[in-house]
Amino acid sequence: MSDFLQMGLTGLSLGLMYALIAIGLTLIFGVMRVIQYAHGEMFMLGAFTLYFWHAELGLPYWLGVAVSAGLIFCLGAVLQVVLFRPLQGKNILYSLAVSLGLVLIISGSGQLLFGTTTKGIPSAVSGGVLISGAYLSYERIVISIVSIGLIVSLWAFLRHSVTGFAIRAVAEDPETAALQGIRTDRIHWIAFGLGSSMAAIAGCMMGTLLSIVPTMGFLATIKAFMIVIMGGLGSVVGALVGGLILGMIDSVVTTTISGDIAIILSFVVIFLILVFRPSGLFGQNWD
Amino acid sequence: MDISERPSHIAWGILLIVALAAPVLVNFDLYLIHVGITIAFNVALATSLWMIWTLGVISFAHAGFMGIGAYASALVLHKLGLSMWYGIWVGAAISGLIAMAIAVPLMRTRAVYFFMASWAVGEVIKRNFAFFKDFFGGWDGIFDIKQPVLDLGFLRIDFADRVAYYYLALFFAALTIWIIHRMNASRTGMIWWAIHENELLAEHTGINIFRQKVVCFTIACTLVGMTGALYAHYQTYISPKSFDIWKSEFALVHLIVGGLTSVAGPVSGAITLTVIDELLRATGYFRTIFFGVVLIASVLLLPGGLETVPGRVRKLVSRIRQK
Repeated sequence: MSDFLQMGLTGLSLGLMYALIAIGLTLIFGVMRVIQYAHGEMFMLGAFTLYFWHAELGLPYWLGVAVSAGLIFCLGAVLQVVLFRPLQGKNILYSLAVSLGLVLIISGSGQLLFGTTTKGIPSAVSGGVLISGAYLSYERIVISIVSIGLIVSLWAFLRHSVTGFAIRAVAEDPETAALQGIRTDRIHWIAFGLGSSMAAIAGCMMGTLLSIVPTMGFLATIKAFMIVIMGGLGSVVGALVGGLILGMIDSVVTTTISGDIAIILSFVVIFLILVFRPSGLFGQNWD
Repeated sequence: MDISERPSHIAWGILLIVALAAPVLVNFDLYLIHVGITIAFNVALATSLWMIWTLGVISFAHAGFMGIGAYASALVLHKLGLSMWYGIWVGAAISGLIAMAIAVPLMRTRAVYFFMASWAVGEVIKRNFAFFKDFFGGWDGIFDIKQPVLDLGFLRIDFADRVAYYYLALFFAALTIWIIHRMNASRTGMIWWAIHENELLAEHTGINIFRQKVVCFTIACTLVGMTGALYAHYQTYISPKSFDIWKSEFALVHLIVGGLTSVAGPVSGAITLTVIDELLRATGYFRTIFFGVVLIASVLLLPGGLETVPGRVRKLVSRIRQK
């Protein structure tokens, strides 16, 4: 029983973190209809920003998370304006190619600048608690709370703030939104920056839990895409549900059988979901 | 899009002659011939991926199907003791059959979802090679896949010789291009482009879209399975890592940089980028960075790809003449 509780708790915290990465991606896709393949690189850069801030310079942890999120927000906004704006309205393959180029550049220069050795960020909180036989570290609790908080506040931002309304309007129909006086260009870079900084915060959280390397972005990209596709592109709820499904598969199958099977199984699950629901679990019918 | 309207036989002829004369031109330098063989494989891979693109989708499972062909041929050699001349057909057949079986559910998905579903297929193929250690050799892969020997009685060619293998690879790449070009120019090819342009309209003109998609996917995967068999016997070593997502992605990059409207696109893209990649080989990490820069620059500065270059040059020349 305690085994299952342990797996469930691990899966839940893992799933929430995956969902945090994936929601940024789904926001970017939903608003701009571009494939941001370098999303995992934002995750990696976020983690490294915190590493330099907290582990090298010894500055406070939570401020570092904010700084990292802010920096990556700016980076995302600049990338959108410089690289992705010219591709607006073109075939989605072009944005895929450009972001693939970005992946190569960022992970290549990451290996060059940061070295290929694994690094770790010291945790902000230590200790843990036993819940009926299952061990849960305070770190994971904090990470889960931060993830939930961010997801809820993003949802509230999209629902209730003026900018959030504008973002949703642009996602729905850019031309009509522009006719209503919404500056779509500005919304585009805001959404891109927001999505990227979500990934950066996830990177900060993950960085304390696991070790960080410049090549870790690719795995995050894979996970994010798996989740987003499973949940339906552009759907925040879908990303949350997809993240939890993937986190559970990862946790349960890795502990009971093996990590290889977990990956095979999660791809099979995605394939089956797409076969029976070709637009993902919560996706609108999109061409 | 001038190039697709004008006859480009001369360009193709020159390319073929240069390719045939290449070993002599590089003075039988073994490294450069190796580059030539790599180019031939990349051209075959990108061209067959382009064939799927004529339906309007890009498959990320393509390297996976190349892997199926490679593993099938290698296992035919190791378990049954039959040379590549049998293995290549077994590889093509297995790759084609699996492609047909997969395409039936896969083709239900559209656009971006197709990318991801095909990615899942490719990953599962790769992971299966890694997981069944006893049969496929796990992550270590399969070693010692011998090159074939062609023995016609009066003529005996040992393909362990690199120049001989170059001509084999060249022959195969040319065959792939020719088959795909002929298919694309035929009525079937026009049907695929009709699906590409507007699926709903195509369906209403009486095209069985689902069947056409499955057929196209199967043919492309059969061809790439044969490429995989040739690749395995050239490298003499294969592992699941040889056929991961990056291989499919680079094939896609070759397509995009080359151009998407005609078969000249993947060919020119694969040749150019393979050469650039080899030129950057000595620069270590800068290789990936430069490659990324080249990729982004070519997408943003040369929309339409390399295949539009002759048209642009022609336009420039005529503009200068008018002045």
